[in-house]
Amino acid sequence: MEWVRFTAAAVFLLFATVMECIAVFGVYKFKFVMNRMHSAAIGDTLALLLGAAGLMLLKGSRWYSFKLGLIVIMLWMTSAISSHVIMRMEYSIDEKKVKEETS
Amino acid sequence: MSRKRSDYRSTFYSRIENFVNGREEFLLYRPTGRTEAEKLESLEAELTEAADLLDKREEQQRIQDHTEPRDFLKRFHKLYGVVATLVCLTMMMLLMITVSWLPRFGNASNPANNEVIKRYIEKGQEETGAVNIVTGLILNYRGFDTMGETHVLFVAASCVMILLLIAEGKEKVSRYANDRQLEPKNDIIVQKVAGFLVPAVFMFGIYVILNGHLSPGGGFSGGSVIGAGLIMYVSAFGFKKTERFFNEHVYKIAKISALCFYICCLSYYFYMGAHGYDNHIPLGTPGNIISSGLILFINIFVGTEVACTMYAFYALFRKGGL
Repeated sequence: MEWVRFTAAAVFLLFATVMECIAVFGVYKFKFVMNRMHSAAIGDTLALLLGAAGLMLLKGSRWYSFKLGLIVIMLWMTSAISSHVIMRMEYSIDEKKVKEETS
Repeated sequence: MSRKRSDYRSTFYSRIENFVNGREEFLLYRPTGRTEAEKLESLEAELTEAADLLDKREEQQRIQDHTEPRDFLKRFHKLYGVVATLVCLTMMMLLMITVSWLPRFGNASNPANNEVIKRYIEKGQEETGAVNIVTGLILNYRGFDTMGETHVLFVAASCVMILLLIAEGKEKVSRYANDRQLEPKNDIIVQKVAGFLVPAVFMFGIYVILNGHLSPGGGFSGGSVIGAGLIMYVSAFGFKKTERFFNEHVYKIAKISALCFYICCLSYYFYMGAHGYDNHIPLGTPGNIISSGLILFINIFVGTEVACTMYAFYALFRKGGL
């Protein structure tokens, strides 16, 4: 049982690392703000959730898991909302004429 | 019902009030009946507006037809570089010489390794009543230093006000109307999340302030948390809604009364300490919220001060007023 838990936690943490690597790669690969923000959001949401889940499994304590869950909820709220505001700012400045292309 | 007299504007007290609020020049102002004064004011305003326009035009002309000789400027820039390098090198040399005279780090006979630190650690809790030794240290033993820091915050906010505050007139109206040209206004997503987060942030800030003497934290950190919460509320709901509970009036009262009460608390410490009297404020049991004498109150005052300063910076840079 202990081994199963450890393996599951390791898999979660590994996936979190992979996702974080993809996010970093995308941030450096793309040139346009919105593309970069999309790839950065992968690290902020999915990688964070996977990492937190892996740590929860590894530690196993209920109080610890509760605190990690709170951290995930807080970061999902705040970082997504700040990205949203920056994105709308970019859309209203519209340097690349995205509005004309999409409409 | 207004309690002001009908001829309030011509009384001596109203002139003092106007002078204190910066509306009138105390020595020059002689009220001569309301209607005439108003006429004069409107005339003066028109005149100054015309003069401003002329000034602006002249300045633009001057900038456009810039034909001053540039040799002098070039020579000045060359000299400036040389002198700046020399000054920097001299300063570096002086500092390096000073550093070379300092004693080795970690030496047992250094002036830093004296009985003061030992006393802070061993008797700090007993003498100040604060479980968090750092808070007991900076608010009790070194209260004078912390008072200076709080005054620095006050002076910084005042300086930013001097530079950025737009007092009256058309510019104020236009700045207030255009305080966010490109930013999303009334974004429903941001507002919903701010409705969840702002109370949580305020609660956390108050917790940090009230637990300053028990756990890491205190007035400065808690105050900045509350200031961040205020800024978040403003960016979600706009200044009109914020001014319902935090406007210039509240700002003035909160900031100045916090500073004054802080100075009163510290004066008590200074007076008792300088005359060798015992501290008569009960310290309570260490670990309780209401313990450690005046440190709790000083933390609250410092927190108010810091929160007000943070919010004032944001509002002043954004629209030139509170």
